[in-house]
Amino acid sequence: MIRTRINELLGIEYPVFQGGMAWIADGKLAASVSEGGGLGIIAAGNAPADYVREQIRIARSITDKPFGVNVMLMSPFADEVAKVIAEEKVAVVTTGAGNPLKYMKAWKAAGVKMIPVVASVAMAKLMVRVGAEALIAEGTESGGHVGELTTMALVPQVCDAVDLPVIAAGGVADGRGMAAAFMLGAEGVQMGTRFLLADECSIHENYKQRLLKAKDLDTIVTGRRLGHPVRGLKTPFTREYAKLEYTDISDEELEKKGEGALRAAVQDGDAEKGSFLAGQVAAMLSKEQPAAEILKEVCEEAENYLKEGAKWVK
Amino acid sequence: MVFEAIQELIADKMEMDAEEITMDSTFKDLGIDSLDMVEMVMELEDKLDKEIELADKIETVGELVKYIEEKC
Repeated sequence: MIRTRINELLGIEYPVFQGGMAWIADGKLAASVSEGGGLGIIAAGNAPADYVREQIRIARSITDKPFGVNVMLMSPFADEVAKVIAEEKVAVVTTGAGNPLKYMKAWKAAGVKMIPVVASVAMAKLMVRVGAEALIAEGTESGGHVGELTTMALVPQVCDAVDLPVIAAGGVADGRGMAAAFMLGAEGVQMGTRFLLADECSIHENYKQRLLKAKDLDTIVTGRRLGHPVRGLKTPFTREYAKLEYTDISDEELEKKGEGALRAAVQDGDAEKGSFLAGQVAAMLSKEQPAAEILKEVCEEAENYLKEGAKWVK
Repeated sequence: MVFEAIQELIADKMEMDAEEITMDSTFKDLGIDSLDMVEMVMELEDKLDKEIELADKIETVGELVKYIEEKC
């Protein structure tokens, strides 16, 4: 059995979060992960508050266990989504792309625990001051929006800089990754890509098939030129986009090309227009299974690897 | 004093001459992104012995100077 400060802080069986993937992580997926003993997270993405409230209610109809909501702070609806999270007294809020300072008072009053995603030591320190209860340190191996540092380099540096429990994200897809993250100082892990193949994840069948077929070099980062790099599977769309970044196309036009691409992948499975976000671990995925099984499998594997680690010490 | 502190910090971090940094310089032109900004503001706090809670969007060195002088 693995027990860390994350289990205690959140009252969950496995210290494993399911990443808040925009357009993908809905109430059903989050509830399935929480019901399985981890922490499921509903992604607010760029969606309006009504959508988020609906997903929270769907999750509550499936599970009594705690779950979280991820707020993308750059979303035009961030203010209203933040309000809904406080009103609904969601157990955990994870944040990305900014500083949630202005929402902290309302969240604290509602008993919502704030756990931000950070990609640098300075951001980690700032979030401690703002009132975070734990931190998710996400390396550039992850899918979706990525930072600069790898998980291997980022996690120990964040652990050295703060006393809060750290959850490692980016590059973790099985028990080996989880055990390795623990050696770096993490007390929990967040996985996104692995949960794309959960039975309860309702992405298009083409998306799942592409993940199952992916090889190690099949992800690509696009959007660096615009300042918000995103990792996803190589498709005709992302290859074309990557080429365009080096042409004299204007930033506005480039930005426009990317709009709606994630939705096209998730809902229509369209490789010509879609952006199938995935982390570098995509190639490690080999089967579809229930979320609860993923959690159990990963944690049992991690436990074994952590025990076996002693064999190198003579 | 605040301006000089910022100027010195940026010159050191970005390896450029302090004279190149003026009140009108934008952080974007200086090559400082939002994550660098968080790091820089924390160093500034130590340097100036002040708490700086950045809430507004700040684009130029002059705006940062004004913010710190008026609100911190």
